[in-house]
Amino acid sequence: MSQDLPEAWAETGDQLRWRAARSRRHILRMLRAGGAGHLGGAMSCVDLVTCLYFHTMRHDPARPQAPGRDRFILSAGHKCLGQYSVLAEAGYFDLGLLDTYGHLGTPLPGHPDMTKLPGVEANTGSLGHGLSIGLGMALGLRADGLMSPVGQVYVLLGDGELPEGSNWEAAAAAHHHRVGNLTALVDVNGLQISGRTAEVMSTAPLAERWAGFGWDAITIDGHDIEQILSALEQAHQNQERPCVILAHTVKAKGVSFAEDKVDFHYWKTKPDLLAQAEAETEARISALEEVLA
Amino acid sequence: MTGPLSDPRKAFGAAVTELAESRPEVVVLSTDSGKSSGFGDFAARHPERYFELGIMEQAAVGVASGLATTGRTPVFCAIAPFVTVRPYEMLRNDLGYMRQNVKIVGRNSGVTYSDLGATHHSLEDFAITRMIPGFTVLAPVDPSEIKAACAAMLDHRGPVYMRIGNEPIPDLAAPEPFVIGRGRILRAGSDVTVVATGSITGAALAAAEVLAGQGVAAEVLGLGTVWPLDEDLIAQSAGRTGRIVTVEEHYVVGGLGTMVRELSAERLGLPVAKLGLPHCYSTSGPYHELLAHYGLDPAGLAGSIKAFLESDAGH
Repeated sequence: MSQDLPEAWAETGDQLRWRAARSRRHILRMLRAGGAGHLGGAMSCVDLVTCLYFHTMRHDPARPQAPGRDRFILSAGHKCLGQYSVLAEAGYFDLGLLDTYGHLGTPLPGHPDMTKLPGVEANTGSLGHGLSIGLGMALGLRADGLMSPVGQVYVLLGDGELPEGSNWEAAAAAHHHRVGNLTALVDVNGLQISGRTAEVMSTAPLAERWAGFGWDAITIDGHDIEQILSALEQAHQNQERPCVILAHTVKAKGVSFAEDKVDFHYWKTKPDLLAQAEAETEARISALEEVLA
Repeated sequence: MTGPLSDPRKAFGAAVTELAESRPEVVVLSTDSGKSSGFGDFAARHPERYFELGIMEQAAVGVASGLATTGRTPVFCAIAPFVTVRPYEMLRNDLGYMRQNVKIVGRNSGVTYSDLGATHHSLEDFAITRMIPGFTVLAPVDPSEIKAACAAMLDHRGPVYMRIGNEPIPDLAAPEPFVIGRGRILRAGSDVTVVATGSITGAALAAAEVLAGQGVAAEVLGLGTVWPLDEDLIAQSAGRTGRIVTVEEHYVVGGLGTMVRELSAERLGLPVAKLGLPHCYSTSGPYHELLAHYGLDPAGLAGSIKAFLESDAGH
């Protein structure tokens, strides 16, 4: 196939940390525009999403439908601020659109809609859908054989989402069909609406469960950029077997007063606290810009 | 009714297999259901286009959606309730909301799995699939129309639900190209418009023959498309006859009868009698005995239509 295929962005280290910090700024900008949103999960997953788009995935914001692109599905659609922010940072749309969050007719609804925003690959929001859709994409891309390795599909799930049975249907089928171009990332922030995930509905032992379904399972710190990149690299190595990255994270990471607190799953902003969160993020961005300068 | 009886599943599987020869984008999904859906040949000829998933109808719809995003046209066929009520949210979100070009086919629909009981009956599939914006709902009336409908379904861009039975049925009319949204006049008449869909249309035609012997000229419309409803065909016919009876192997609530009542309430102002299954968990037994039990055999239909015409509402 002689077409012009997208390439991976291959950013690393502090550059990625800077991207993630800027993405956290974009998340807060959307919350300021809309007055409320799913803060906790967006902040816990955004380092993972940043590494995918700015290091690993082959994609081109100028050609969001390029046939040979790798694909990202946010199965936990309520974390959409964590995807919108990275798509904006990557140039999929103008940053000014962030200010429409929560407004009538916005292309940034509270759960993503592929018909409204370039770069969104699936309409998620109801939990337990993304892995099946991703499996279908992976089967199709494998049959296309456009790239070497073939087009990769990344599906990000929340740990609170794992009791949905359809996830395990897809997990079983991905192993059976030896779908190695499918990687799941679980944002294990340990909290869901009603409390600690371990208390609401435990899915422990997590790695053993996935391994029992025939997946390679890698457990990492989901805020450690080097660990994320290393896990994504490992995930590619076996193209005969699906891989899951179990990323332990902190809910609302980067917003000191909200970290690991269940009340910030969905946050109705308060002016003083939002200003504090913005100040913390700006300080982080400035510190990284000094390092990068 | 003319010609020999044939198995609608075989007609369906053979039609898709033949059409897929010139449509390389067509792929088939099976949830331990492919061979019973008539896809034995397809699986042997195109193993790379045949995806066996085992018994997991929810994930299967998601997988079909994902495959469709890569340019495939997935066809997923299994027992009707297992591809409709079981994965309903996947139909709505992964196919409807995502506008994916996937074809869902429910076989053994209605009460054709008569002896297996209510878990295997599908009497609400029209009602729930038509509720998904962008979905097309087909129920071809005979084997020739199944074949023609398969071509139309594969060439139509967007999610489609098609239901077929499993009881052998005859061809009811000469084959014609299938146009989605258009029904056909299968028998002309002037006293009442009988609007039928799916495999029970043969019984409606036979009922019209019974009625003819009693001096009643029933016009029978065969709707291979349930949704969008062919409003103009029904309006033209009912404009002449003044009365409408719907016949379907579906609950009398929510299905074709409800759609035609809506049409009449909004546009025609004519009486509509709805014949179908009562809104309860059906009993089980041999198929033709079950239909007769619910008045859906030719004699039962003819009796109900006659009674309607003689009633105050249908007079």
